[in-house]
Amino acid sequence: MTTLKTMKKQSRGDKPTEPLVFEKHVAGAIGVDFPPLDVSETKVPEEVAGGCTTLPSFGQHDVMAHYTHLSDRNFSVDGNFYPLGSCTMKHNPRINEWGAALPGFACLHPLQDEEEIQGALRLLYETRTMLEEIAGLHEVSLQPAAGAHGEFTALKVIRAYFADHGQTNRTVVLAADTAHGTNPASCTMCGASVETVRTVNGQTDLSHLKEVIARIGGGNISAFMITNPSTAGLFDSNIQEIADIVHEVGAKLYLDGANMNALLGRVRPGDFGADAMHYNTHKTFSTPHGGGGPGSGPIAVTEELAPYLPVPQVMMADDGSFYLDREREKSIGKVRSFIGQFGVLVRCWAYISACGPNGLRNVSETAVLNANYLAARLCEKYPMPFFDPKNGKFCAHEFVTVPQNLLDKGVTLIDITKRMIDYGVHPPTMHWPMHDCLMVEPTETESKQALDSFVDVMLQIADEISSEIELVQQSPLESDIARADEVAAARKPILAFK
Amino acid sequence: MDYTQLNTSQRQEMLATIGIQSIDELFNVIPAEIRCEKGLDLMPALSELELQRALAEMASHNHGAHDMPCFMGCGAYDHFYPALIDQLISRGEFLTSYTPYQAEASQGSLQAFFEFQTQIARLTGLDIANASLYDGATAVAEAALLATNTTRRKEVLVASTMHPEYIAVLRTVLSDVNIAITLLEATDGTISPATVALNMSDAVAGVIVQSPNIWGQIEDWDGCFAEAHKVPKTAGISVFNPIACGMLKTPGSCGADIAVAEGQPLGNALNLGGPYLGLLAAKESYTRKMPGRLVGMTKDEDGRRVFCLTLQTREQHIRGAKATSNVCTNQGLMAMRASMFMTTLGSDGIKEMATQSWHKAHYLANEIVKLEGWKLTHGGPFFNEFTVTCPCDVTKVVDFCKSNGVLPGVAAAGRRMQGLSSGNELIIAVTEKRTKHEMDALVALLQEVSA
Ligand SMILES: Cc1ncc(COP(=O)(O)O)c(C=O)c1O
Repeated sequence: MTTLKTMKKQSRGDKPTEPLVFEKHVAGAIGVDFPPLDVSETKVPEEVAGGCTTLPSFGQHDVMAHYTHLSDRNFSVDGNFYPLGSCTMKHNPRINEWGAALPGFACLHPLQDEEEIQGALRLLYETRTMLEEIAGLHEVSLQPAAGAHGEFTALKVIRAYFADHGQTNRTVVLAADTAHGTNPASCTMCGASVETVRTVNGQTDLSHLKEVIARIGGGNISAFMITNPSTAGLFDSNIQEIADIVHEVGAKLYLDGANMNALLGRVRPGDFGADAMHYNTHKTFSTPHGGGGPGSGPIAVTEELAPYLPVPQVMMADDGSFYLDREREKSIGKVRSFIGQFGVLVRCWAYISACGPNGLRNVSETAVLNANYLAARLCEKYPMPFFDPKNGKFCAHEFVTVPQNLLDKGVTLIDITKRMIDYGVHPPTMHWPMHDCLMVEPTETESKQALDSFVDVMLQIADEISSEIELVQQSPLESDIARADEVAAARKPILAFK
Repeated sequence: MDYTQLNTSQRQEMLATIGIQSIDELFNVIPAEIRCEKGLDLMPALSELELQRALAEMASHNHGAHDMPCFMGCGAYDHFYPALIDQLISRGEFLTSYTPYQAEASQGSLQAFFEFQTQIARLTGLDIANASLYDGATAVAEAALLATNTTRRKEVLVASTMHPEYIAVLRTVLSDVNIAITLLEATDGTISPATVALNMSDAVAGVIVQSPNIWGQIEDWDGCFAEAHKVPKTAGISVFNPIACGMLKTPGSCGADIAVAEGQPLGNALNLGGPYLGLLAAKESYTRKMPGRLVGMTKDEDGRRVFCLTLQTREQHIRGAKATSNVCTNQGLMAMRASMFMTTLGSDGIKEMATQSWHKAHYLANEIVKLEGWKLTHGGPFFNEFTVTCPCDVTKVVDFCKSNGVLPGVAAAGRRMQGLSSGNELIIAVTEKRTKHEMDALVALLQEVSA
């Protein structure tokens, strides 16, 4: 044990803690200069004068060094296997970055007149129609800034539809017990209450769904939010029946489209009865996650819900020119400023255009193939509750393992994931959708070599748990830092440097 | 190219490992009736070279701040930012990482976001800030919810001089959660503290005032928030311009409890309106009700100073329906850009930008009012943006300037500004980027069009 501790310190010794910018301040130094003022000065009245004087600065080379050092302390899709389930950490093509940075896109002011931005509006319009086709739904709004914002927007749209049809009782939204946290949180933001529907074996429990509907009364329900493939990585084969049950009581089926990567070109949500859905372009369409954002969360809806979509909407006129419709009479209004996450949508357009229809289908096929291959190779050492290929039970684009056999030997799930960091693998999603599980999503852009190396790492960790359990328990041993004390961080939060 | 990497024999080998003959077997669970057999009706794939052509072609049909001097503002500003920002932010280690849930694999992002939070707290003169929201408009809405959630009151007073899009988004967000919006009427383009006083009651959770406001006028935060605070616990919510914090009184120094803003001016491109970032700072007492990601400072097992996401029990992935907000994906990369910008400039640099913008805006305003028939619409102090009333049709002014290669500002009338006005006001913004030469040229055009 002691030797391990020592080893831990030594292996990290060559990467000192990077000082904060506040500790690097050099009075009078600055990272960039300005031209001299070319007009006469106007006095600043005392009653408005003031200003912050406490932001540090230092020379330009050290600015570069600071962020280069920080970048050296980050796992990324570029540098690491990053199988974070539900997040679809696929390769981010750089042509997309190149396109978004073109001055003809990056330097447009959002309040400019439509005549000057025809190219940008064309791109938005094409993105809109491509997303309509992929969804198999009538109309897409590009307004929402992320998936959660898409949920919020679509729930508002559904609510407005019901209000317009005199059905104001419909204030309850159903969500699966395995739903992403944003589903119920978005309901609250829309003033709806949430009722949970159970899942069995990663699929909606139909009898419980019926029971909940009967208990609440179908006329009080506005929507059922379903994730398909589910967050357990399984396609819900009862989806049409679910749609029927929901529609029978006049409610709408909402698809959380976070897992669209498994469906592209294979199944269109509109074809299985979804009335509304959101995309996460930062998952399915490879726009970079950027350490937490930006994303974008376009929503697609049926024809009857379309009049309620937010404004503005990008349109094509009869003469083939493009414009922004700001006057939809029944619209829920605006959900964000200006016209959406334009720069993100440029990347989305470029990705879909690069793939084309056959490529998109190959994306979902390969994503599903990669996940099943990993599952097949790992399922012996890492038990998987829903994966049983011999009996025709496969996963979609991701799978869940509950490594109880390993946990029983005296490690925690955290131990396993922190050991993965030692091997340069970003840990998968943990404890969701079930306790003590890992949710693994390799994505289609990983090579077979990368998949095989990941298998090697996972098998090695399983071996270590049998042979040298301390290695796992004390991990990470090789990362930049030892385990962070998150409990202390939350007990006495320090959110700013003093 | 679809960016997959497997060749045929690898696919075969993988299928064999799974124990199946074809990929189709993996999709058998999907009922036949709903499979998309005919394929998607999309344009065929483009190669990278074709993509470059197509993107460049579409971009070439746009005109904007890259080929015209831009005097447009109203929430999005054509500011200078150093070239190193585009370079640093392109590093794949930042660009292609996820939300830093795993502290041991994400110290780079975490430290950068912690620095961002501290910089925003200092810039605003408040205690804490979160790691970004979607944009300025949604940040205003989150601030209103923060105030109503902490007080359990059901009304917010909102300056009618706030950006009309922010008001519109606030209306959408508050419409189904039983919170009333009372608009405060303006007197000569600003909100008088007396108007706040008139509308105050113990039902009011917060008073929201933007300064500089949509007309460019500097509001009396001190006075408005003093009235707000006469009812205990009412939040003074300031909507600020981050560059203005380089030379004007900060929200914190004017008694604000919560401060929100559009963060685009801090090193982010215009991007036709997005991606931008919402800034949210607050007094420490709001810590446990804050929306969005928060990064905290802590120690690792060896005692090193390290950073991690914290207070996650506020958030949707732990708290579900009871979370303080539904936000998950935020604007991390934009926040990192803003932080790089603030690090490169420091207070001195931001002050320089603010001061130059101030002097230039005042120079231009002075030159314009020398023209026959042109006048400033309001009498109060302004920062880098001001409103003039044109002696002729504002649309004619805008069109004339554009046909001469200048974006002269934003007309206050029309749907785009949510019906802010039906008159001939033109809102003109001047950043440090505008030169005397460009301003003199604009003045000449205004003279010509109104002659
Ligand atoms: C299943 C699911 N739903 C919703 C979301 C929320 O999306 P976003 O983070 O884009 O707001 C996520 C991802 O984070 C998700 O995995």
